[in-house]
Amino acid sequence: MSNVISEPASPAATPTRGSPPSPKRRAGQSPGRRQEGRAGLLFLSPWLLGLIGITAFPMLFSLFLSFTNYDVLSSWEFLEFVGFDNYRKIFTTDPIFWKSVRVTLTFGLIAVPLKLAASLGVALLLNKARRGVGLYRSMFYLPSLLGGSVALALVWLAMFNGDGAFNDFLALFGIEGKSWINEPDWALATLIVLSVWQFGAPMVIFLAGLKQVPTELYEAASVDGASKLRQFFHVTLPMLSPVIFFNLVLETIHGFQGFTAAFVISNGTGGPVYATKLYTLLIYDKGFTDFQMGYASALAWIFLAVIGLITVVFFSTGRFWVHYSDGEK
Amino acid sequence: MGRPTAVSRVRGVIGAIVLIAILAVVLYPLIWLLGGSFKSPTEVVSNMSLLPTEPTLGNYPDGWSYIQGVPFGTFFVNSMVISLLSVVANGVSCLVTAYAFARLRFFGRKVFFALMIGTLLLPGHVLIIPQYVMFNEFGWVDTPLPLVIPKLLATEAFFVFLMVQFMRGIPRELDDAAKIDGCDPYRTFRHVILPLSRPALITTAIFSFIWTWNDFFTQLVYLPSVEKYTVPIALRLFIDSSGQTSLGPMMAMSVLALMPVFLFFLAFQRFLVEGINTSGLKG
Amino acid sequence: MAVALPAAGLLAACGDDEPAAGAEYPTGPVTLTFYWWGGEARAKLTDDALNLYTKAHPNVTITRTWQAFTGYYDKLATISAGGNAPDIFQIDDNGLAEYASRNVTLDLSPYTKSGAIDVSKHPKSLTEYGQLKGKQVAIATGENTPAIIYDKTILTELGLALPKVGMTYEEIITWGAEVSAKKPGYWGLMDPSSDYKALWLWLRAQGKEFYSDNKIAFSEADLIAWFQLWVDARAKNAVPPADVVHEAVTGSVATQLVVTKKAAVSFMWSNQLSEMQKATKNDLAMTAYPGDPKGQWARASTYWAASRTTKNAVVVADLINFLVNNVEAGKVQGVDRGLPSNLDVRTAVSDSLTDQKMKDTVAFENEITPKFGPAPAPPPKGHSGLRNTLRDIAETVTYGKATPEAAAKQFFTQAAAALA
Repeated sequence: MSNVISEPASPAATPTRGSPPSPKRRAGQSPGRRQEGRAGLLFLSPWLLGLIGITAFPMLFSLFLSFTNYDVLSSWEFLEFVGFDNYRKIFTTDPIFWKSVRVTLTFGLIAVPLKLAASLGVALLLNKARRGVGLYRSMFYLPSLLGGSVALALVWLAMFNGDGAFNDFLALFGIEGKSWINEPDWALATLIVLSVWQFGAPMVIFLAGLKQVPTELYEAASVDGASKLRQFFHVTLPMLSPVIFFNLVLETIHGFQGFTAAFVISNGTGGPVYATKLYTLLIYDKGFTDFQMGYASALAWIFLAVIGLITVVFFSTGRFWVHYSDGEK
Repeated sequence: MGRPTAVSRVRGVIGAIVLIAILAVVLYPLIWLLGGSFKSPTEVVSNMSLLPTEPTLGNYPDGWSYIQGVPFGTFFVNSMVISLLSVVANGVSCLVTAYAFARLRFFGRKVFFALMIGTLLLPGHVLIIPQYVMFNEFGWVDTPLPLVIPKLLATEAFFVFLMVQFMRGIPRELDDAAKIDGCDPYRTFRHVILPLSRPALITTAIFSFIWTWNDFFTQLVYLPSVEKYTVPIALRLFIDSSGQTSLGPMMAMSVLALMPVFLFFLAFQRFLVEGINTSGLKG
Repeated sequence: MAVALPAAGLLAACGDDEPAAGAEYPTGPVTLTFYWWGGEARAKLTDDALNLYTKAHPNVTITRTWQAFTGYYDKLATISAGGNAPDIFQIDDNGLAEYASRNVTLDLSPYTKSGAIDVSKHPKSLTEYGQLKGKQVAIATGENTPAIIYDKTILTELGLALPKVGMTYEEIITWGAEVSAKKPGYWGLMDPSSDYKALWLWLRAQGKEFYSDNKIAFSEADLIAWFQLWVDARAKNAVPPADVVHEAVTGSVATQLVVTKKAAVSFMWSNQLSEMQKATKNDLAMTAYPGDPKGQWARASTYWAASRTTKNAVVVADLINFLVNNVEAGKVQGVDRGLPSNLDVRTAVSDSLTDQKMKDTVAFENEITPKFGPAPAPPPKGHSGLRNTLRDIAETVTYGKATPEAAAKQFFTQAAAALA
């Protein structure tokens, strides 16, 4: 699809084509650099086209809508500009907003670290070459294959209902369980368990990352007499840090954006008593049940601001612990 | 590898036991689903236990031919086509995009990168209407285009970012060596980065396939006619909250729906294992 | 409400709907898009009915889309926003005002007036339940009534009387406590406090209303009394604890307490008896919700609505007319979307039924219809969100997280915002 025509390699010394050197040219910008700049934009062109043609419009449009009373169904002539009204209402009068923020934060802060720990742990266990490792790996990935399927609701009910499997398990130890999924204080915990249960995606990414660690490094460490633990801290973790970073950022974003599982399991209610009313469920309710899409867009942009801030913090602190082999910071 | 000592053998056994224990816990809910697919209609709602008391095979044929005139296989084919197209589209587009971000210096790179991450941050429900309006203007509704073209234009920032992170793990000395050998950025891409990006590409392929396979809302909106439905939409046809509910056949088809993605994963994860061998580096 | 008032306010600003009277039925090829939600059985019979129409009108092609209820309204909203609303679509009274008051639907009044859509054989109150501000915005596909479905087998085993029409809520709660007392771990009835239709009927049985125009018509005191009624019922052990109640709150058939054998009574719709029966071996039967049946009215189970942007209004009207009035089409559709609106069709369909539980549904409707009171207006815009608000707030009381007083206050605060 990308019609990159490989040019014959030109000796890097003499520029044969390209733009005339501009006066703004930084000192020391070699022709090779210029070629690299051109190539960069060329390689980026599909993404740029996607940004301009597909991504930018819906995003900017939703930003615009967040300052209006857009209600999905009325024709455009009824669209009114309401300034910061939606935002003001969200922070002052919305009875569910803060509840939902609390639920989402609780969910994200517990589920994301647990999921990362589980996926890294299992990936390390699986990274040793053993017989049938492929099958193991695939088995661990199975729960994630279920995604947000409708069957998920049934399965989770069968695990965490009053007469569910989890209580049978507790009964072995003489503990009397609750109807976890229907208890306002516990329903969110069942969602967290679900999220951790589906640790397949970060696990696969960790596995791929572990494969990238050159074996020579371990050999060298072994020769130096480093213990397994030491090797883990001094070889594995640093070499894996770009992938850990990726998983941390993405699982955080995805964790806070969790929707499908909560929607399927609570049957769209976010209940009992708002216990699983994740922020995205609130957005959905406002946009598609109450038809207040302007308001829902405002909710979404508040979300973007907060999660964007968290991401920026990750990126700026990442400099201190993420080790890249390309030498750039 | 050295000879296994007694200690390491014990360690191996313990490791295996731990793995199998975790695996049992992880798979239990899925075994329940499998068991449920063999339960009779009344047992499905009344019996929560792992295995059916009176197993029946009927749910499978019932589920397969549940939709009149459209065998369930049709939905599998539809899902397969869209998923495979997505795999190719995502793989190609995200790879070239990631190369630009990870390896090439050009004007505005940092800003573009921030924008790219930024596109990950908005919850989809507020985007679906503007997107629909737009694709409707393009005349793409009722075709698979709205599901595939965006992927061809690297709009799935998740994969771009994933590949960037992997490429940044490739030592730059290799590029420099290629440069000295007289490679321009295009050749470097082909002979150095492409072969070394295989784990990232495989990962992308696996996720693209599985996530597209499981995607519900966009497919629902852009594919209006029943014979174009994909598996996730078709699975929901078994549950109608206001009336008809066929949980048994739904579970049976859910089990079947897991098969292709499971096989896809099983086939492709092999490539993850191999890791990088530098023999692919032919200058 | 027979006289159509000139549309005021918002609606006046919109384009004129095509007058129906003079328009001719087209002879050239016509393609219509047609959407509904439902299960496989409904898909089959809708298909058959539509095929009957296209056989009689070979120049008409009908592109059909059906899906589960999940996601139906989301999809409908999205494509309507994109200007692609289907020519004809199924809707219920929760979506009716949302779509009609925002002018997505075609005003069918000209067609009902001219007789192009013949409603002369439909119960008047059923037709009126498809009207908003004097406009016929949708045509009922059939009639459906809230009903309690109970487990006859267990109640007979326990030697208890069966629930009957006209029981008061106090009586049924006392009766429910007896059931719970006789069978530990089993309860008399589902707690319907979060169910808007139960509250609505309870209000109407006292001569009150849920809505008037687009405002809440009952008082905070009414709602407190309603919540208190069920708090007391729980104290008497007539209804299950909150976590068991929550399992059935969404109304899906498979999780109802009668089906899962946790309670003797579920609050449902009359047309769901046959479907519920398929999920349990015990014999089920039904009767009316408690309270004076005059609180009930002829409710549309679903409607056919048309898009205002349709290019073939005449064909659309003709097709709707065919679906609700043609005897053959009626026989094909059976009682799937409620008892047929057209009384002649209803008789024909009743005679052709084979499923015993569907016959029971018809018998029940025939028994209760004469006792109905007048129909209220369909719920206003904002209702679907308000229903969820009631559900969530009622649950705070059920779980003991809020007092009836606090919950009622909260409900009115949110209602003011939702209906604004």
